[in-house]
Amino acid sequence: MKTKPSVKPPRLADRLFEWYCNNASIEDLHGDLEELFFRNLEKMSVRRAKWNYWRHVLSLIFSYALRRRKQRAAFHPYAGASAQTAMLLSYLKIGFRNLVRNKSYAVVNIGGLAISGAVGLMILLFIAHERSYDRYNSKADRIYRLNFEHRFGENHAHMATTPAMAASTLQQEFPEIESTTRFLDYGTYLVRAAEAKESIKEYHVLWTDSTVFKIFSLQVLEGNANKALADPYGVAISKRTAVKYFGNASALGKSLVLDNRIHAQVTAVFEDLPAVSHFHADMLISLAGDWPAAREARFSGFSNNNFNSYILLRPGADVHSLEAKLPAFVEKYNGPSKGGDFARLELMPLLDIHLHSQLRGELETNGDITYVYLFFAVAVFVLIIACINFMNLATAQSTQRAKEVGIRKVLGSQRGHLVRQFLLESFIITGAGFTVAIGLAQLLTALFSSILQKPLQLPLTEPWFYAALGVATGVVSLLAGAYPSFVLSGFKPVSVLKGRTSLRSNGVLRSGLVVFQFVVSILLMVGAFTVNQQVAYIQNKKLGFEKDHVLLVKDAYALRPNSGVYKTEAAKIPAVRSTTVSGFIPVEGGSDFPRRDRSFWKEGTQPSSDNLVNIQQWSVDFDYITTLGLDVVDGRGFSEDFPSDSAAVVLNKTGADRFGLGSDPIGKRIATFGGGRVPDFDHPVFFTVIGVVDDFHFSSLKENIGPLALFLGKSDGFVSIRFDGDPKPVIDKLEATWKRMAPGQPFQYSFLDQEYGRMYAGEQRLAKLFGIFAAFAVIIACIGLFALTAYTSQQRTKEIGIRKVLGASVASIVFLLSGEFTKLIVIAFVVAAPLAWVGVRWWLENFTYKVDIGLMVYAAAGLLVLVIAWLTTWYHSFRAASADPVKSIRTE
Amino acid sequence: MKGYIGEFEELVLLTIASLGENAYGVAIKEDIEMRADRDISLGALHSTITRLEEKKFIRSWLGEPTQERGGRRKRFFELTHQGKVALHEIKALRDELWKLSKATLTLAK
Repeated sequence: MKTKPSVKPPRLADRLFEWYCNNASIEDLHGDLEELFFRNLEKMSVRRAKWNYWRHVLSLIFSYALRRRKQRAAFHPYAGASAQTAMLLSYLKIGFRNLVRNKSYAVVNIGGLAISGAVGLMILLFIAHERSYDRYNSKADRIYRLNFEHRFGENHAHMATTPAMAASTLQQEFPEIESTTRFLDYGTYLVRAAEAKESIKEYHVLWTDSTVFKIFSLQVLEGNANKALADPYGVAISKRTAVKYFGNASALGKSLVLDNRIHAQVTAVFEDLPAVSHFHADMLISLAGDWPAAREARFSGFSNNNFNSYILLRPGADVHSLEAKLPAFVEKYNGPSKGGDFARLELMPLLDIHLHSQLRGELETNGDITYVYLFFAVAVFVLIIACINFMNLATAQSTQRAKEVGIRKVLGSQRGHLVRQFLLESFIITGAGFTVAIGLAQLLTALFSSILQKPLQLPLTEPWFYAALGVATGVVSLLAGAYPSFVLSGFKPVSVLKGRTSLRSNGVLRSGLVVFQFVVSILLMVGAFTVNQQVAYIQNKKLGFEKDHVLLVKDAYALRPNSGVYKTEAAKIPAVRSTTVSGFIPVEGGSDFPRRDRSFWKEGTQPSSDNLVNIQQWSVDFDYITTLGLDVVDGRGFSEDFPSDSAAVVLNKTGADRFGLGSDPIGKRIATFGGGRVPDFDHPVFFTVIGVVDDFHFSSLKENIGPLALFLGKSDGFVSIRFDGDPKPVIDKLEATWKRMAPGQPFQYSFLDQEYGRMYAGEQRLAKLFGIFAAFAVIIACIGLFALTAYTSQQRTKEIGIRKVLGASVASIVFLLSGEFTKLIVIAFVVAAPLAWVGVRWWLENFTYKVDIGLMVYAAAGLLVLVIAWLTTWYHSFRAASADPVKSIRTE
Repeated sequence: MKGYIGEFEELVLLTIASLGENAYGVAIKEDIEMRADRDISLGALHSTITRLEEKKFIRSWLGEPTQERGGRRKRFFELTHQGKVALHEIKALRDELWKLSKATLTLAK
């Protein structure tokens, strides 16, 4: 026999043949071809043999035999698929069979991934929502807001507002600025259409320049955007406002009356601002003309920082070079800075405002990037907990799959194939989990929307949403499946098939992962407890005033000039103890609660940055101190018996200290510049201190109590009414009186404690969210633990049987089985406690007045997790422990 | 007549019968080529085999893999009862005709 070992049948023909036959069974035909080829080699030249091979291949390809075989193959389950797809389909089938066989395993994994996926989706929605603020502006990348920071003696302020002249002067001096606009917020207005009688309270009224439409992408529906606000008395209103006042008729040219004083004509209607805007104007009034706002807008000095100013850069202009020129600009108009004093303008990109700006004078309360990061971290951690469940369960039940792995390897599977198979299974589970997550998230959106006060909605109709989910499924299944698939595919077939399944050291890793899960759970739980305790602390803190049983009747200025009469009428109601009229209330935030501060100095010194005290200047009436329950510690409150009290002042303790009035402040005098909102530096005005009240929290507990001064004066924002007993009859009578005295004006009331609580809405929201997240984390971790105990106690069935035969009690075995997890949770607690301590301190640093978080909170969180974990392991431990040992030992 | 058998089909059937336990593709092909001195393509042969199998005249099974043929298994064939009946029928027909035409078919010397 001639040997021509190097000669092989022509490759191309082989390929053609295999390709053409696809999945039809051709093993025998192929064998025939090859045998024939080698036989031919002995008889003829290589060339001819090859030619013959080709001939036979072609004859087979066109033969009836092959046509029939292909037809038959078409009825095969994996018909029409290549070998690879066939394997893929087979993996899928095996994967599903495994899920169905281990139902609890499937439920735990899919459930965990679904819950964490839903939480993650919610958080991502929230983040996407927060990040989408102001992006509706087509020129967003060129719009900057001017921020102003200044220090003057002990007064330091960082504001979102600037002097009136800043924006327009900047535009004149720097050609790279294309346009500027300003907003002036004077608070709420009672508004009615000229012909109507009833007024409606409008919260979102801003005075602005005619350029506003050039800068912000407000879509003007009616009217001329360029001219609408150029003339005095012009007002542009949002579509919903137009509908509110004028129905479906065109609003253009109609008149609106604000606070019964300002008659404005509608010159434009614009589309409602999207929710994701850092301001929500419903009425934009022209700053042209000759009313107080307009006069303030023309003030050319570099003080009175009341304007939110925006600039629009020309395309291609360099913002950094502009910023570099700002110090010189400030110096030019504000004078050079002396000592520690300074003034500074800065540019804030429009898109940063919502998440990165919490300055004084914001148009609305903004979001906070810290919470965006925090929630993102929570989402990731919750997802990791679910992934850990998958990893732990997959490795724990690896004994069950070991035989399969062994046989697959014997049959020629390579490690790569097995890895692929297990990754595919992880993909199936993750995919199923995330599909359920969409449904769950849909249910949760309502809850989260109400907690976060944001209109969150799943973008179910957007293709990119599904694409993103697909990618996320891929990533998570890789994350969760990578480790188990490598462990499982690494079994040695010989030892596995002999029955020796080595779990090796992955028990340690599994314990580590369980510890990690509980570290996260304990952290979130401590977080939830802390935030809740701080919220409770805020509610119960002694504030220096009595917040309960005080009714606030809003917008008392609508009663003018009869607010005094209303007050006496209210005082006649039997349940009412005292009443007061003042716009200043110890609650902060929103345009409902105005603040006014002014610089004073102690009489006998020259005003300079060293002794000027920036102090809250509140106008109150005689009954303010009694009605709010302030504590007079020195001197007396205002009294009608002293006519000289019109030039008197009552300071809070901090105020008296700040002026350095010594141990006996009564009778000393403080001075300030005359003039209204615009100070008149030439005419100082003096006030005599007649009393000192104890410090009370008139601002958020996040801040120190500042200096405050009460003056007798007219300020009719609220009528505050202290009452006894049931508020309902009091409210009814107040409303009746209001209707009589201020016909057509809305009667609006609330309670002081309610308004106070509203200041901490953010914290209350956080408390709820943390509670929910902590609960989810613990639930997911515990269902993982539940399944894990099932497997471990199953593995130890024999051991338990032998222990029982040798006399162990059920209790001792339960204790033994639970003991292991107890150890893990103790370790988790030891790891989590210091981390939690750092986190808690970091968060509480926001507050000047904070609750003392004792060890109790940590102990409670740790114990709670321990108890929950015990309860989850209990079921399987107890079942294993109480099983009949005869059965467990006998079964092989 | 029940099943029609073509000339080549008959040849294949008889060859399978003659090869006994070693009746597989290449062996059948070589045997026919040797005896009949004609060139058969594998396609033609297997097509015929497929038809015979569908007529249930033969049945087949895969053998054990061996070192030869790249480890590929051979498909072996054997006659079924129906196959044998068919062969008998055609042989009977032929014999009858031979008998009848003995005089005419004598080869001239």
